[in-house]
Amino acid sequence: MSAVLRPLIPVDPTPRASGWRRWLAPVVSPPVVDFWLRKLNPVLSWDRPLARVVARSQESRDAVTLVLKPNRHFRGYVPGQHVNLTAELDGVRVTRSYSPTDVRQADGAFSITVKHIPGGRVSGLLCERTQVGDVLELGPGDAFGEMHLPREVPEKMLLLAAGSGITPLMSLVRQLSALGMPADTTLLYWTRQRDERCFTAELRAIAARHPHFRVRFLLTRDAPQKPDEAVGRIDSALLLRKAPDLAKRTVFACGPAGFVRAARELATDAPRFCGEAFTPAAMVQGDGGTVRVELRRSRKTLELASGMPLLAALEAEGLQPLYGCRRGICQTCACGKLAGVSRNLDTGELQAEPEQALRLCVSSARSDLVLDI
Amino acid sequence: MTDPTKCTDMKAALHNRPLSPAELEQFGSELDALRARVASELGAEDARYIRNVVKAVRYSEVAGRGLLWGGAIAFGFWTLAWPALVLGALLLGLSKILENMELGHNVMHGQYDWMRDPHLHGKTYEWDIAGTSDSWRRTHNFKHHTYTNVRGMDDDIGYGLLRIFPEQRWKPWRIFQPLYAAVLGLYFQWGVAIQELELGLAFMGRKTWRELWEEFKPMGRKAGRQLLKDYLVFPLLAGPFFLPVLIGNLVANGIRNLWTFSIIFCGHFTDKVEVFPRNSVINESRGHWYLRQLRGSSNLSGSKALHILSGHLSHQIEHHLFPDLPARRYPQIAPEVQAICKRYGQHYNTGSFVRQFGQVWGRIFRHAFPSRVPLRSPLVAA
Repeated sequence: MSAVLRPLIPVDPTPRASGWRRWLAPVVSPPVVDFWLRKLNPVLSWDRPLARVVARSQESRDAVTLVLKPNRHFRGYVPGQHVNLTAELDGVRVTRSYSPTDVRQADGAFSITVKHIPGGRVSGLLCERTQVGDVLELGPGDAFGEMHLPREVPEKMLLLAAGSGITPLMSLVRQLSALGMPADTTLLYWTRQRDERCFTAELRAIAARHPHFRVRFLLTRDAPQKPDEAVGRIDSALLLRKAPDLAKRTVFACGPAGFVRAARELATDAPRFCGEAFTPAAMVQGDGGTVRVELRRSRKTLELASGMPLLAALEAEGLQPLYGCRRGICQTCACGKLAGVSRNLDTGELQAEPEQALRLCVSSARSDLVLDI
Repeated sequence: MTDPTKCTDMKAALHNRPLSPAELEQFGSELDALRARVASELGAEDARYIRNVVKAVRYSEVAGRGLLWGGAIAFGFWTLAWPALVLGALLLGLSKILENMELGHNVMHGQYDWMRDPHLHGKTYEWDIAGTSDSWRRTHNFKHHTYTNVRGMDDDIGYGLLRIFPEQRWKPWRIFQPLYAAVLGLYFQWGVAIQELELGLAFMGRKTWRELWEEFKPMGRKAGRQLLKDYLVFPLLAGPFFLPVLIGNLVANGIRNLWTFSIIFCGHFTDKVEVFPRNSVINESRGHWYLRQLRGSSNLSGSKALHILSGHLSHQIEHHLFPDLPARRYPQIAPEVQAICKRYGQHYNTGSFVRQFGQVWGRIFRHAFPSRVPLRSPLVAA
């Protein structure tokens, strides 16, 4: 439902080709092929994972569920993981991560549930202006995230969701339900108000079907009306009431950063804890501090001065990135930025989106960065 | 004896005022501000434009190849079908011109990187021409755009073949350079393709033939693919009627070669364009770099069609000042660039295609013979 901070976009060095496509690859120009394929069917592509919106429904007051049917280049996900979704806004492609909320259907389709964040450009596009039949890109990169069932399903689980954090956990609940609920599972799901809540009826139906599955809906700004509803923020008293055997439960928590932090502190007794928080506003550094820069392809992580041009800072660390003019003209040093906030030293502008061509010589890091070099 | 070169260069010298270091800095920041303003305005309209260019390239290529194919077969039975072949070759030539100039060249400068569209991405785009994009990104994007018209650093000065400026050393074999220029024009894509190999170095023994072979490999692969496409695969699709298709493709490539040669030569080799010594780039400030770009480039005035078909290199000055701004913006900002030039006493070199191209050939003929370096106005006032 919302962007996730921790797992970053994985590097996807070369598009995979198989069989006849590998034989044709040397003579095929993907842009030309894609141009004509899209005239036939907008979801066709030589090597890019695209998906068509096949259904759309209102999930709550401010959230919309889109059912996406991907083409054959999408490599799937494990319930609980996130996928990158790229859409075009005012001529610029923008990427956000969303968690599929279900197990893939027989025809490959899956759902995402998007909460309309006030002022959010991508969530606004997906909630308000995306129609059945539209095509979105899945990527860059494959699905990612660690919050999925381990190979051996734990005996007891506690799922903690706050707001949009329900989305990866809903995918897990649906997976567990389809497997016949192999784990004794409690889901605690917080929202501020009742009408913000998603999947209420389905969660109740699953609870009615499986005695091993309990769901409690917690509200912070509404009064409880049903026996499975309660009021209160996450704290130890509440956790003790709802899950007295916490020390035996594998805990998954997903929600805003503060919520996940609180959950982690309360679940120190649990045999395993896995938490994922949405992206907070990126930590933007002033000039002078240091930032952690990960070079994904060279498998290196460095501490660099944040105000310095990245090219000079990398060279000061003994690295030798390719460069040419050193003043932002020739693009020789440009490389992909997978995550983080950079500053264009010519214009002073901050750039928080992933970029394909970050010019190292005229950019500085303003947060921790992941570069594709 | 009057020296026509000296006369015009004298005029250029009078047109260009040397700037004081303070003025130079101010000049640079005015251009920076202009650049920042345009960069902040980029959006849906620019994206739509470049996608329309892509559309025009794709449809004209299909139409051109379709007409050549159908025309070749029809021509086999009925000789009056020749206009289809002519139209096909012209359309294919047009498609290649658009692809090379308005799409490939501009995309490879990273002008559309802000869209984050992998198919319009400067570092990975591969164009429909014999040379590889990677080689172009080195010789053109880096060398030519950073060291524009600096002797010994910008290999585009005469392409290692022609003496365009009196500052270049005269040798007796230069006498025949109008002939070399004509051949270079006809086979321009091959000239560009092998430019980075610097064959001369191998002949002079400053590089081994083995090194040359290693450097040739990627270029050879790309050129092979291009030759295969235009002179084998598409002709063979017409079966026994392959010959007219092959000739059509040859003509289309030839049209594109002559056009790109003409446009590019008009951009840096007209009368009032200057060359600079190596030491001009030592610790060069941004303002100094801008001034060098301005004095080393010349524009073409003309219709919208001329601008589009030249990939907006008709606005060579604006392109050299802001190589990574989408080229369709150059005509919009040209009046402001002109106003800045006027304020700083710099000549804004522009003229019709006929006039500018005439001056280029004037230079090629004049400097085939020994010529003396005229008086130049320095960039910076002492």
